[in-house]
Amino acid sequence: MARFKLYSAIFVVLMALSTTQAIVEETGMVDFDAPGTYWMAFGIILVLSFVKATFVATYYMHLRWEPRSVTYLFLGGLFVALALTTAAAYSIL
Amino acid sequence: MSHGEADGHEFPPMSSVKRWFITTNHKDIGILYTITALFFLVLGGVLAMLMRVQLWSPGASILGANAYNQAVSAHGLLMVFWFISPFAFGFANYIIPLQIGADDLAFPRLNAMSYWAYLFSGLLFIASFFQGGTFAGGWTMYAPLNLPTYMPNIGGTTVVLALIMFIAAVTMGSVNFLTTMYRMRAEGLRMRDLPMFSMSILLTVWMMLFAFAALLAALMILAAQHIFGVTYFSADGGTLLWTHLFWFFGHPEVYIVFFPALGIMAECFQTFTGQRIVGRKWFVLAMVLVALQSFVVWMHHMFLTGINLEIKTLFMVTTIGISLPFDLMVFSLIYTMIKGRIRYTTPFLFSLGALILFIIGGITGVFLGAVVLDYEFRGTYWVVAHFHYVMVGGATGLFAGIYYWFPKMTGRMYDEYLGKVHFALYFLGFNLLYFPLFVAWETPRRVFDYAPGLTSWHQVASIGGFLLGASFLVMFYNLFKSMAVGEEVGDNPWEYSTTAEWAVSSPPPLENFEGKPSYASGKLTFREDPQLTADGSGDNEPTGTPSTDGGVQTESAAASGESALVTGPEAVASAATGAATVHTEEEHADHASFWPFVICFAGFLAFLGLSGIQDGGAYYWLTGAGGALSAVGFVGMAQESFHTPEPTVAEQWPFEGVENMKLGMWMFLGSDVVLFGGFIGSYLFLRVANGWMHWHHAFIPEAHVTLPGLINTYLLLASSFMVVLALVASHKNSKRGVVASLSLTWLLGVGFLINKGIEWNHLFHISTEAFPNGWGISTNVASSTFYLTTGLHGAHVIVGLIMLMYMIPRAMNGAYLGDDEVSIEYFGLYWHFVDIVWLFLFPLFYIL
Amino acid sequence: MADIGGPVVGDTVLAGASGIRAPAEVFNSIFVVFLGLGTLVGVVVISYTLYNAYKYRYRAEKDPAPDLDRPELGELPESGGKGKKLFLSFGISALIVLSLVIWTYASLLYVEGKPTEVQQNGGEVLTIDVDGFRFGWQFTYPNGATTSTLRVPTDTVINLSVTSEDVFHNFGIPEMRVKSDAIPGQTTNTWFVAEETGTYTAACYEICGEGHSGMDAKVVVMEPDEYESWYADTEGSANATAGSGSSDGEDGGGNAIEAPSAPNSASGSLAPAHAGGAP
Repeated sequence: MARFKLYSAIFVVLMALSTTQAIVEETGMVDFDAPGTYWMAFGIILVLSFVKATFVATYYMHLRWEPRSVTYLFLGGLFVALALTTAAAYSIL
Repeated sequence: MSHGEADGHEFPPMSSVKRWFITTNHKDIGILYTITALFFLVLGGVLAMLMRVQLWSPGASILGANAYNQAVSAHGLLMVFWFISPFAFGFANYIIPLQIGADDLAFPRLNAMSYWAYLFSGLLFIASFFQGGTFAGGWTMYAPLNLPTYMPNIGGTTVVLALIMFIAAVTMGSVNFLTTMYRMRAEGLRMRDLPMFSMSILLTVWMMLFAFAALLAALMILAAQHIFGVTYFSADGGTLLWTHLFWFFGHPEVYIVFFPALGIMAECFQTFTGQRIVGRKWFVLAMVLVALQSFVVWMHHMFLTGINLEIKTLFMVTTIGISLPFDLMVFSLIYTMIKGRIRYTTPFLFSLGALILFIIGGITGVFLGAVVLDYEFRGTYWVVAHFHYVMVGGATGLFAGIYYWFPKMTGRMYDEYLGKVHFALYFLGFNLLYFPLFVAWETPRRVFDYAPGLTSWHQVASIGGFLLGASFLVMFYNLFKSMAVGEEVGDNPWEYSTTAEWAVSSPPPLENFEGKPSYASGKLTFREDPQLTADGSGDNEPTGTPSTDGGVQTESAAASGESALVTGPEAVASAATGAATVHTEEEHADHASFWPFVICFAGFLAFLGLSGIQDGGAYYWLTGAGGALSAVGFVGMAQESFHTPEPTVAEQWPFEGVENMKLGMWMFLGSDVVLFGGFIGSYLFLRVANGWMHWHHAFIPEAHVTLPGLINTYLLLASSFMVVLALVASHKNSKRGVVASLSLTWLLGVGFLINKGIEWNHLFHISTEAFPNGWGISTNVASSTFYLTTGLHGAHVIVGLIMLMYMIPRAMNGAYLGDDEVSIEYFGLYWHFVDIVWLFLFPLFYIL
Repeated sequence: MADIGGPVVGDTVLAGASGIRAPAEVFNSIFVVFLGLGTLVGVVVISYTLYNAYKYRYRAEKDPAPDLDRPELGELPESGGKGKKLFLSFGISALIVLSLVIWTYASLLYVEGKPTEVQQNGGEVLTIDVDGFRFGWQFTYPNGATTSTLRVPTDTVINLSVTSEDVFHNFGIPEMRVKSDAIPGQTTNTWFVAEETGTYTAACYEICGEGHSGMDAKVVVMEPDEYESWYADTEGSANATAGSGSSDGEDGGGNAIEAPSAPNSASGSLAPAHAGGAP
């Protein structure tokens, strides 16, 4: 299918983004003694993970070409997991 | 028209034992669930009787302290898990396909497997009594009492494993019901038109899909603590972690338990008042709201755990808020009676009784939502009385169901007089048992020594308990007797019933409907089944105006060739001839399979072995035997033609175009997200509790570096890419391409595992000042979370690789080409999901 | 809210000389209201339900609505009307429930914040550490003394700092309407004011093992001067454990010992887990 090029391009992007995450660490931003920088690095790295996951889900898992309801189903699970984690963590702060 | 024998495929009759081991028919499975659940009702009830005997006077010693704790815990676990929901699902299995116009559930063999997993998990629980005593820490299983330090008996571990097996049953069931209800509804039956019982089950399974995954995370971690020595629940914050995970599940669970009863009550109120449900639209909306809200109230079980005031306030509001939709539903049922033609049949009496009990239970629940009151009610009999009123009140609705549908399931009417006797004894016994518990509310829970002033109340309660128990003898006698000599009934013994199960014979034929149910005309009619027309043996019994499908028939025949998803010659033949659907009579007999039974029996052996594996010896053999047998079972089951033909004409919003298998896989993945979410969330929670930065400084060795994680990320991403290429190759009918890419996927996956193995081995053997004995699974909470979370992920990888080892040889024989690519697609969904999880594990456990 | 040092005239029952409204009072007054309202609502709704169930029982010769459109087999679901009535009832119940929430929220703030407020106003708060273990309770006073009987003076804000040495317990004194989870590795706080002298019982409200049923502790509420002398007695002795029966204080020593709420002090030497509760 013509999608071969698309899939390959996405693969390259995924590899690049993963490498970026490692590079962020190499720069020393992930400094456990410097909360300001640390949490910024935390944010960048996790956002990159979300971006990668979105690519995999959208294209490799074909969500792009499925009815929107399937995406909502998947996101529903994610939402539930995030709600539990956030609320629980907040409760002991 | 008996359809089995004519084709030479013999599906054994109901009197044959073999039938019950190989059936995958939803009605049979419904009966199996009902009977098994009633067995657990009796078992749980006997335990309760023992408790009530002990509570006759303060400080009695009929049971020793440990035995009492076991009785209390087992009573709760058995009733909540092994009785009440399975009892509801007995009805759901039997009735839902009939109500929505389907021939069976979407995945019949999975359905059988879910029953056998349920049964064997229950047997596993029973085994625990004989392994040094069963779990004795309350059904809530709080940490640290649930840990091996305090619960060294093997039976405690067995219960955890039994619950895990039970959750497997539940997950299979929810995936099955969800796919069925979204994809196999009769023409014209929109989601909003679902009958009340079906609607309630729909919401129940949605809640189950997400809630049980959280419990599964908790139980897997607990089992790992027992068997592998992880330290989650003994670390700082561990106790609270358990309460969060458990109650996040625990609260939706109580609605999971109640909703089916609510659905039955609505059906019975409508039928026996001869009035449509008042404000039905709002009733349904209220149920949806409760289902959603049920996930945001759980901390009201934790008001005294030292959580901060802001979050207590939030959960107070949400808790009180959840009573509002219930108010609406209660009023709706009451108003439905106005200007009705009420007949006091046994199902109606039980439904009305359930409503009253639920009102009492609900009001007392509002008390518990007021935080200041809860501060005192915590751990007392107020809570016990409240939840028994609402939950057993719910069960009351389920007993309405058994009388309501008994005629449909057996073709005979129960004895109405005995039914009323049962109700009278039941209602009296119930209130004698539970109302005094409100008066004696100051009694602490799970205690058999209480203030002497409360003795008379406890005695009344014990009498009530025995009365309640005795009432069931009446029920059992009634049902047994009526099965033999009850008056025979036709299709519909109940005036004013509206749902489709009453439009077929009692009991229904094996294939449910003669002809295809359709609501396209605005009411239920039966169209000619295209396949029957082709065979020339049509035997239509439409209830409305019969209509033929004419043009639709040809389209559906062609459509079914694609959507039927049958591999091999049949698909080719039907596509070529464009002839009648693939849904031939023979398919029915092929649904029968003994592999679900075999696999679950194997699971039973394996879990039993795991429970005592630290003791070695026989337990090793059991685990091994179980594992081997289940492998045989899975292969056997995979060899069978797995696909049931999908309905050719059906309402499928909002999942049009998503075949059943694919939708089922997505449903499963949705729940797997919550499972991993529970594991990752646990890690995050514990890290916050221990000090985020401190965690890194104190618990992680220098040797734990990013590189292995990065390499694994590359490997997994490449393997995902390979799977996608396999799909491309399949489109191009390239056998070599498919085999090559799947094999590369496999190799990359193995590379992932080898790399991980090397990394772990290295970490196990480091010897530094901080970690003289290596960094192993029990070293500290950080190592525990690292190994268990990435280990769970690794296990998912292994499962994927095993699937590949089945697929690659088949690919070499030419499978998965052209139209058959879907199997690769489904595998791909799983594999990509596993990849996505790693994309988060990598930064969280290696970099940050 | 009450001022310290004098009873405030109002429509609520106040504690004795401390002038502080004890959590027990808060609980009792809210409980009474809920009980009354709950019973009223329950009786009204259930009576109405039974009334309708009886009134509309079907008798062919007395059909109140013979021409009404009734459900038929095979019909698609439709609503049965009467929506307005439904919303009225729903609205009323929502109003009741919301009012209850708002009212009890005020008392939640009171209960949560009182000890801190008392301290900030220079009042006296006696903090006692409570340690649960399998299967008993140990109490540690600001001066480091430990007992297995909880002794407190009347009319004083007693702040309990509760934890556990092993598993999840829960410490509660029913008559004082005070309760707190006892969780290993963390401390939870709760408070009460005792108005009447006497002997009470504390119990464990979370299943913790075989001894759970008997995990009691005696609570003795004493007149302030009696308490002072007993407390003075404990000075200098590292442990004043149970059984040896702390005397009812004969010494006249009138040291003003009680300190403002001490930070959560580590308990004194701990008794190993022993079965049974306090004497």
